[in-house]
Amino acid sequence: MADAFDSPIDIDDQPSPTALGGRAQVATSVGIAAVLLLLLNAHALALWADGLKPGPRTAGIYAAAQGLSSRTAARGLDAPRATLRAGWQRLQAADWPDQR
Amino acid sequence: MLFPTLDFALFFLPVLVLVWTVGQASNEWRKIILLLASWIFYGAWDWRFVALLIASAAINWSLAQRVHARAEAGESVQPWLGLGVAANLAILGFFKYFGFFLAELAPILTAAGFGRDLPLIEIILPVGISFFTFQGMSYLIDIARRQTQPASFLDLTLLMSFFPHLVAGPIVRASHLVPQFAAVPRLTRTMVSASLILIVWGLFKKAVIASELATGLVDTAFRDPAALSGLDLLAGAYGYAVQIYCDFSAYSDMAVGIAGLMGYRFPRNFDQPYRAASLQDFWRRWHISLSSWLRDYLYISLGGNRGGVWFVCRNLMLTMLLGGFWHGAKWTFLIWGGLHGLVLAIERLWREWRPSAAPFLPRPLAILFIFHIVLAGWIFFRADTLAGALAYFAEMAAMRPGITLTTPLMAGLIGLGMAIHFAPPALLPVLARRVAAWPAPLTGIAVGLAILAIDTMRGDGIAAFIYYQF
Repeated sequence: MADAFDSPIDIDDQPSPTALGGRAQVATSVGIAAVLLLLLNAHALALWADGLKPGPRTAGIYAAAQGLSSRTAARGLDAPRATLRAGWQRLQAADWPDQR
Repeated sequence: MLFPTLDFALFFLPVLVLVWTVGQASNEWRKIILLLASWIFYGAWDWRFVALLIASAAINWSLAQRVHARAEAGESVQPWLGLGVAANLAILGFFKYFGFFLAELAPILTAAGFGRDLPLIEIILPVGISFFTFQGMSYLIDIARRQTQPASFLDLTLLMSFFPHLVAGPIVRASHLVPQFAAVPRLTRTMVSASLILIVWGLFKKAVIASELATGLVDTAFRDPAALSGLDLLAGAYGYAVQIYCDFSAYSDMAVGIAGLMGYRFPRNFDQPYRAASLQDFWRRWHISLSSWLRDYLYISLGGNRGGVWFVCRNLMLTMLLGGFWHGAKWTFLIWGGLHGLVLAIERLWREWRPSAAPFLPRPLAILFIFHIVLAGWIFFRADTLAGALAYFAEMAAMRPGITLTTPLMAGLIGLGMAIHFAPPALLPVLARRVAAWPAPLTGIAVGLAILAIDTMRGDGIAAFIYYQF
């Protein structure tokens, strides 16, 4: 017997304006988000690969991640990340007027 | 393997693909995939304890079979139920409390001449043990109370191992999840959009607000309160109230979202707890799956609301003391639980004997008052030792002038965390419906950009969730 319980994702489904159902929607949206992050945030992948234990298997992953990071940076795709990061660091460094 | 890491993303994406491809054709294979994935998830922390997880599920499943058979035959279930509860408590007690009791008993045993015989062993606490043993116990008790049907071994093992809730809840009961395992779930567009929003929202709360407050303010304030001003310590206390809410509710949000993307519904675990106008109300809004567990399996078993008012107060106090001890083998958690028990008992006595002419406290003032009771409790909860907690109160009361630790960003994050907490409950459904109407590629771009923004704001590395230690 199932308990009636309240879940945050219990939301009435609306008639969809597109043909995609839930499965196709999750595949498309998660896939696109992953590709976008690979392009705009390859730095994070390179950082992650840098933390892997060195070995013959990880050497390939490391080289691929570093290569992707360099190629995306060369095309300026890391600019949004760098701009946001600089803004955030300015916020972190900000102090009260009388403390400066 | 923490949710807000690339390790987890690289683990979860293939699992998601498998459950909606192989797992779409066969529900049994879907469950096997989820079970194996859950063991890999848990094994990434320590492989040895996967065996403990399986053993715990096997014990609960086999004892529940006996309890059910006896209940069906009209015989007493107490012997098998008692054995099952004792087995769960023994597992929890050994890993979580053995060291504490040994340390507390050591002076007495040493004085009695048994000091050199003390078994000095360092016990590693398996992540999430408090959660999966409570799940096992609730399953057994529900079977004995005939509130749920016996689950197959696969279903029960999956229930207890399911990776979204495995290490820090919500405590999902058999009656919540096992019926959902009966068939391949149907995934709707609003489920997907709500799940994605919860994951991104949780990432933001954890990686930006909770982590930044922890490293920039709270950890320093609690490490050396004597070196800080009164305002910094006050900000540290408020900061911790926001940090623990953002940290734990973030985990719950992400757990609900991750399960939701695979088609499963988890119960709500938070409902604006700092809006509570009484402590009883607070416990209906904070860590709802634990408070309802304590109510259903401990408070009611102790007698609940039956008997006189003093008996009810005793039950409240015992429930909260044990609830505090559930969080960890430390005096600070016992004091925290005791404080909540005491205030709950006072509320109960006040309701019983309140003079009819006594005025009611206006709701905003009641909310403010209860928030500060909760805040005082958080200082005990956060401090490493009882002496540390008392020193924090003393140094805060000293109100030394100046402000050195609380930067505008920290003050802003406390304000933002509170604002997020007070966001209207209807916001998620409204957003989820709106996002569900978007074309999926647009949703993907929005999710990708949101994660990018969060990743730029997070510090290097990420601290474990506070509730991982429980």
